[in-house]
Order: sequence, then structure tokens, then C-alpha cells
Amino acid sequence: MSSTGVGQVLYLQQLLPTLMLIGFGALIIWSASLTIPEASFPRQMLGIVLGLVAAYAVWTYDYRILANMSTALLIVDIVLMVLPKIPGFGVSAKGMTGWIRIPFIGLRFQPSELAKLVTILLMSSHAAQYNGRIETLKDYLKLCGILTIPFLLILLQPDLGTGLIVLVSGAAIIICAGAPRSWVLVTIGIVVLGATLVVVTSMTPGLPHVLKQYQLNRLIVFVDPSVDPTGDGYNLQQAKIAVGSGGFFGKGIGNATQSGSGFLPEAHTDFVFALMAEKFGFLGSTVLLGLFGWMLFATISLAQKVDSPFAKLILVGIVTMWSFQLLQNVGMCIGLMPITGIPLPFISFGSSSMISQLMSVGMVHSIWRHRPKAA
Amino acid sequence: MSPIVVIAILLAIVLAAIVVLVLINRGEARFTFDIGGQAPRASGGGDNSTEKGFKNRLIGLSIFSGGIIGVLFTRLWAMQLVSADEYTKQAELNRTRTISTVATRGRILDRNGVELVTNRPSLVVVASSEVANNDVVVQHLANILGMPPIAVRRKIQDQTEGAQSLRTVAVDVSRRVVSYIDEHQYLFEGIHIEERAQRHYPLGTTCAHVLGYTGSPTSEQLEAAAQDDSDSSIRYESGDTVGQAGIEYQYESVLQGVRGEQTVYVDADGNVLDYATSIEARSGSDITLTIDSNVQRAAEESLAKIIKKVREKGNDTCDSGSAVCIDVTNGEVIALASYPTFSPNDFVGGISNDDWEMLSSEEAGNPLMNRVIAGQYPSASTIKPLSTFAALNYGIASSDSHYVCTGFWTGFGQEYGQYCWAHEGHGEVNLREGIVYSCDTVFYEIGKGFFLSDNKEGLQETFRRWGLGQKSGIDLPAEAAGRVPDADWKWNYFTEADDYARSWQGGDTTNLVIGQGDLLVTPLQMACVYAGIATRGNLMRPHLLKSVSTAAGSGSVIEYQSQPMLSVEEQDSSFDLVHDGLQGVIYEESAAQASHFINMKETVAGKTGTAERSGEEPTGWFIAYVPADDPKYVVASCIERGGYGSTCAMYVVRDIMGALYNEPDTSDEVDTSGVR
Repeated sequence: MSSTGVGQVLYLQQLLPTLMLIGFGALIIWSASLTIPEASFPRQMLGIVLGLVAAYAVWTYDYRILANMSTALLIVDIVLMVLPKIPGFGVSAKGMTGWIRIPFIGLRFQPSELAKLVTILLMSSHAAQYNGRIETLKDYLKLCGILTIPFLLILLQPDLGTGLIVLVSGAAIIICAGAPRSWVLVTIGIVVLGATLVVVTSMTPGLPHVLKQYQLNRLIVFVDPSVDPTGDGYNLQQAKIAVGSGGFFGKGIGNATQSGSGFLPEAHTDFVFALMAEKFGFLGSTVLLGLFGWMLFATISLAQKVDSPFAKLILVGIVTMWSFQLLQNVGMCIGLMPITGIPLPFISFGSSSMISQLMSVGMVHSIWRHRPKAA
Repeated sequence: MSPIVVIAILLAIVLAAIVVLVLINRGEARFTFDIGGQAPRASGGGDNSTEKGFKNRLIGLSIFSGGIIGVLFTRLWAMQLVSADEYTKQAELNRTRTISTVATRGRILDRNGVELVTNRPSLVVVASSEVANNDVVVQHLANILGMPPIAVRRKIQDQTEGAQSLRTVAVDVSRRVVSYIDEHQYLFEGIHIEERAQRHYPLGTTCAHVLGYTGSPTSEQLEAAAQDDSDSSIRYESGDTVGQAGIEYQYESVLQGVRGEQTVYVDADGNVLDYATSIEARSGSDITLTIDSNVQRAAEESLAKIIKKVREKGNDTCDSGSAVCIDVTNGEVIALASYPTFSPNDFVGGISNDDWEMLSSEEAGNPLMNRVIAGQYPSASTIKPLSTFAALNYGIASSDSHYVCTGFWTGFGQEYGQYCWAHEGHGEVNLREGIVYSCDTVFYEIGKGFFLSDNKEGLQETFRRWGLGQKSGIDLPAEAAGRVPDADWKWNYFTEADDYARSWQGGDTTNLVIGQGDLLVTPLQMACVYAGIATRGNLMRPHLLKSVSTAAGSGSVIEYQSQPMLSVEEQDSSFDLVHDGLQGVIYEESAAQASHFINMKETVAGKTGTAERSGEEPTGWFIAYVPADDPKYVVASCIERGGYGSTCAMYVVRDIMGALYNEPDTSDEVDTSGVR
């Protein structure tokens, strides 16, 4: 009863790689804390504990109730986005106003991290209604319209990176909910055209600049890293040196010069993967990608197992979110993606991301726990 | 603009691909990812097909996630396995810095090992270049250093030490200033204290013109060093001490040494974390000079004393002079003095503008000029031995030629008459007495003889054979060559004058033969000539370097090998006559003059000279060698606008001889006969 009993309430094949990832992440942050004063290991542990508590709460909660609470989810989503804009709550950090100070505790929290999960729930609750087949253009446009609300609100933070994650995971939910292929392709076309227009007008003097200069710089550097070797190009260059110089076995925890002597910027947050890759080498990279792969495929396999379209779509959203964050964060360290301030789930230093991602894990297991038991 | 274009093109391609896809896939297809195009099985109705649809969509999601991991894995493989060495190299470059370490500059010693130049530690305030923009720090610095803020800022903006380097603000700052800055680091952002070795001249102004001075490398020196790729070349850096004049300049490559290298590990802010490999700096070599600092000091003191004396007698146009003493057997320069002088210490750590202007000004008498090698004057009567050689050589005169001096010589006719310096006349004189009494009439006759002979330029040829009109090649920079005038020179020099005035006249030859007019010589050249007379024609090249001892390792010593400069052929009888005449000058010409030399054990031979320029006090010469029977030293002195050679330069020469043989001059007789 005992082992099967745990397996009944926890989806172990997903839980195991997740816990290993969290453990690996804790080791990485501990090693970072040796040379980077800001990377406080106790604070990271506190984030993990808080995240596990939050995950427990989500896990015990019957997620199915949410299927009919789409209006409430939308309101929560909007409140999360607007909160940092309210004087007294909002705190600025790194050029963004996306932080709030939680009263009484004094902790800073980034609500947009949580909003990613809420948006996934919101989109799933709407898209699940169509039972896997979106028949009318009106329904399709309605789903797209709902997704636009959190996306635009995040862009106003401004936080382009998180906005892209919301957009991609929301789009994955709409697609998997059974949107006709041609509509999706046309939508993608329109989005790409719009994005092109935004970039081009932002670069042209005299036209409205939707993108901030630092965002443009990151795009320029991504296309041509030699443009600015001391600004964003410098960061990218240092990250690539850190990753590449790690070699097969890595330099070890104490000998990492790129991340240990301050050459790698944001080594414990945005560029934590480069820190890991320098210290633990290709071996560490393989372990990390392997654990992510294991966890993602375990989550997808759960989506195959559960019957409810709502549950399936939530899992699709979560898998897409993790996959895209992995691509975005690791990709920017190795020059595959432009630089954005997106944390690596379960690894990067910071409580907001850790708590939100662990709540997503809690959601996965809530779906397993509250599945209709086979007759 | 290129990134914009690239982005735009990429996006346009994506857009075009999508449009094509839409056109191809008309119809209501969903993302079912049917494998093999099979239609969903209809057996289970709508529910079942939804189930099937979800299944295939989740396969699509698996491909999405798996693809991401695959792409990242492949890229990491390429970076961490294939290109790891290249990235490792870059990481090493990132964290290592190579700092060059200063080599100690060699010392300069006199022939007895007395230190003329050493190094001493000095505390230096340096600033990074951006401090110039920080008004608060500049003001604080100005206050503590007691400098005007504008001067502080100018020093920080000065890029002569290299654009990247720290700028030197002040040297030799006191311990009090250093501890204040240390204790108030928050007020002095970007300010550092360095300990540097500074040049130190313990004897002050003594030997200044020989030693020269140092400074920061000039842009020419930096460029030359940068262009020279050989291993042995000196790599100058900001703040280096580089010789700019004198021996410091001449033997720069010997004194400088070779910088060492220290490789350090740094963090991103440039803080040194650890030390890696290092190459020791090789100190510069010590140089021993031929100078005897005792004789040198005596020469300088005598120069100053005599010039002061002349001025006290009412001739305040006399302000400068020089003296040199050379070992005739090997060319070693025992003393080399020029007045007015300067202190090389003023140049240490950068000379102030005011000091520089003072030192290079005409009013101050150009103290930086080394008058022994760069001062050019008519030789006056000191040329007469050479004129004698010429006359004997070319048959213009013989040892028993006789002349009658009436005080006024009319050899070229009454209208071209010339006075002998002794207007009352010397009466009947022979060639030897012509030298002894410096009788101009004797030499006017010789000049006339040359002018009328076939060897019109026999005098010039003789002067040149003895080294006049060319540099001696002494190991000092900025030596002057002097001038031996001839018909060609005169014609080309006075281009403005009419043809008659430009062409060589008899008067030019009679001027030349007594060393007046357009002839220019340096005191060093004349000292060499008299050394040659003393050694019967063997002129050794004058030099200051005695030996070089490498400071590092074995301490091996390389001795300078004396080398001949000129070998002049004259008949033995001519040398005998001239030697006899030059001894006569000392002991017969004037009793007062003789009184200064009869109090020495050694016999002396020499000659006075008084170079005249209209409207000015004459410049006095005195050149002598000692002992006359077995010559060892030649001593020459020249006092600008000092009067007769016998009343100024003679005392300096005698004082130097006194220092050489420890036989100070005890006579206080003053010559009143005005012998020249």
C-alpha cells in the first residue's frame, strides 16, 4: 500500500527528475555563493522551501474547480500584472518595474512569474471547452484575444522575455486545443509581420520606438556579436567563453575563472547556465539537459495518460513554458538566442521564479492526484 | 544598419514560408501530426477522434521539446568538446595580465668610484585619467599637494606617458601627504601612491654637463623603441627614466636595463588575485667615467671664482666660460666644466615649466649648454703653434727666420696696415720668440707668405690636419664642429655682399694666421690640438667612458679601449721649436705669468689667447700641457668676454693643475702687461 500509495498521489517519474534538478540547482547556487556575495545560499534554500510549501498547497487543491473559474483567473492575472504599477507596491529592478514588495514580510516578488502559470490555467480553462476541436473562427479569435490581454500587460512591465513565454505557451494551448492549421499559420504570419514592423520602426529615427534601446541592442548583438564587445556583446562573449572553456569535465567548483572572478555577468541569475557549464563542463550540461528532458517527457506522458482536455492543455502549457525557458536561457548563453532576462527554471537564483515553477510542479501532481480513478 | 537589414530579411523569409504553407494546406486541417496521412479512425466517433487528435498533438509537443534539447545538446557538444581549447585560451587571456617591472637604472661613478649618479626611492602620486573630470578629487589633491587645481588637472590630462597609463601628478611627496591620502581613500577615488626609483645626483651641480639629465621618454624615443623589434631593444613605458642629455643620453642603452615581466591573475575589475610566471628585470649597467670628481670640482669652482673676480673688476659682460682637462696619453677626460651650470636634480620627476624656461633662456646664459664641446670661438693666439707648423712645412719660414716688429705691420701696403697687439713693437724677433711673445707681426708675415705663395690654403690644410673644423668624436651628444674658413666658404657664406667683399683677401689670411676673424673652434678641439703637440702628433680620441660593469650576475667589467683620433706628421725639429716656444710663453713672456708656474715642481708649456670681437670684451684663452718634458695632461680654458687670456683663463688652468698635482697656486701676482 505504501509505495503504491505514494505513486497514487504523486507522479513519481516526473517528481524524481524535478527533485534532482532542484538538488543540482542548489549545488550550482551554493558553488556560486562562494565567489558571488549576492548569491546567498540560505536565501535560495528559503525560496526552495517556500516553493515546496506553495507546491504542496497547489498539489492538494483540486485543480478541476478552476476549469469553471476562467473569469476569476483572468481577474487574478490582470491584478498580478497591474500590482507592480500601483504606487506603494511596485519596486524597480534591472530597468523593469515588474517587482512588488510584499507588505509585512518585506520580500520582493515578481508577479509576472506567477502570471505565467495563471495564464496557462486561464487559456486552458477557455480552450478546454471546445473538447479538442475549435470549429468557428469566432471561438479561435476569442482565444487569441484572451491571450493578448496578459501578453500586452507583461510587455508594459516592460518584460519582453516573459511576454514571449506567455505568448508561446498560450499559443501551444490554442494549437493543441484543436485550432485549424491555416488559421494558426496566418496568425503566426501576422505576428511576425507585426514584430518586424515594430523592430524596423524602432530602428528608424522619427518613427515611434516601441522597443527600448537596450532591447534593440540585444537584437543587434545577437545578429552580429562583434558590434559591441563591451556592452551586451561583451556579456554574450563572456558567457560563451565560460561555457566553451568548461570543456568535458569542467573546471571544478573552485577553479572557474569566468564566473569566479567576475568576468561573467549575472552569473548566478540570467547566466547561471554558463556558470554551471564552466564548473561542471559538458558532463554537467548533459546531466542538466538530460534531467530536463526526463522531466519534460514524463510530463508529456502524463498528458497522454489523463483524459480531461483541461488537464491535458494545462500540461501542454507547462511543458511548453519549461521547454521555451530552457531554450531561451541556455540558448542565450551559447549564442543561439538573443539575450533576455529569463531565469532557468529550478536553477537560477531568485525566489519568484523558484516559487512559481514549483507551483507548476505542484499543478502537475495535482492533475495526477485528482485524475479520475480507473474503474 | 546591417543588423536591421538582416533581421528584416530573416523575418520576410519566415513570412513568405508561412504564406506558401497556407496556400499549400488549404482546408480545415488541424495540427494532428497524422503519420502517413492516415485519416483518424472513425470507429469511436467524435470522442475517439479527439483522443487521437490530442495524442498526435502531444507527439508534436514531444518533438518541440525534444528538438530544443537536441539543438542545445549539439551546440554544447560543439562548444565544450570541439572548440574547448579555443575558449580556454580566451578565458586565460581574460584573467591574466602582464605587468612589466622596472629595471634599476645603472649608476654613474667617477674614476675613483665616487658616486656621481645613483637612484633613490621616491613616493609618487599617480591618478587614473578619468580623475581629470572629477572636480572634487582634483580640488582635494590640489589642496593636499599645494598645487593650483589647474596644474593638477593638466598633469592628469597629460598623455605623454601613454593614453592608458596612470598619470604622474607629483613626485617626492611627503609621508604626511601619503598617509593623508591613505586614510581618506574615499576622498581620493582613482588616486594611488607608487614607490619609484628616482635619479639622484649626490654632488648636486658637480659634473652636470657631463652627466646630463633625464626625463620621460620623448615621443621620438617612444616611436624609435616601438619600431625596433630586436630582442635587445629597450621598451620604453610611461614614467620611465630616460637620458635626455650628456652621459645619461649617450649611454642610455647601457644604463637603462631591461624591463622584467610579471604575469598576474586578475578579476574582472583588474584586482590582482595571484601571481604567475615572472621574468626578472635586468638592471642597467654601472658606468665608470674617466672624470676625477676632485679635479672636476676644482675646475668648476675655479671657473665660477674667476668669472666672479672678472665681474667684480667691473667687466659684468663676462658671464660664462669652460675648462677641460684631458690625459694626453689615452684621451681620458679628467675634468670637463662649463659655466653657468645647472642641477640635474631639477629634472628628476619632470622639470617645471618655469625652471625649464629659466634654464634655456639667453639671459641666464644658457646653462644647459656644454661650452667645452658646443661653445665656438675664434681660437686667437692659441692657433699660433699650428701656424708655425704650417709655415715650416710649406717653407714660408724656417727656424732661423728673423722679423722686425714695429707694432704696426704694413706688409700689404700702408692702407692695409695692421697692429701687433703690442703697439710699441717687439723689435727684432725670430720664429720661437714670435710664439713666446705671441708677436702678431711674425705671423702677419707668415700669412702674407701663404697669401702670395702657391699654397694659398696651406694654413687651412694644416688646421684641418690637426682636427679643426670637425668633431672630435667625444662620447657626448651635441658636439659642435667649429669652422676653418677658406675662399670657398667665404664666397658661399656672404651671398649678400659684393664680389670683392665675398672673395678671399690677404687680410683674411693674416686674420686666420693669428686665430682671429672667421675661425671657430671649441675648447675641446683646442685641448686635442695641444695634446697632439705634447705627444708629437698622436691625438687620442677624447672620451669619458672608462668602464662598464654589469650590475647583474658576474659583475664583469668591460674597459673602454682608448683609440687614436688623428696621427699628425710634423718634422721633429718643428715640434722641438714649438715645444721650446710654448715653454717660453710660460716662463719668459711675463714675469707675473711665470710666477704662477714657477711654484710648481712640474714644468709647463702653454699658450695664451685673446679672441677679439668689435664692441665686446675679448674672450680669453689659456691652454697648457704638463709636465712639459713628459706630457701627461692638457688643460684648456676659455672665458667668454673675460679679457686677456693671461688674466682670466690662465688662473683656471693653473687651479686645475693645482688639483691634479696637489700644488695650489700660491702667487697672487697679476699680469699688467696685457700679454696675449
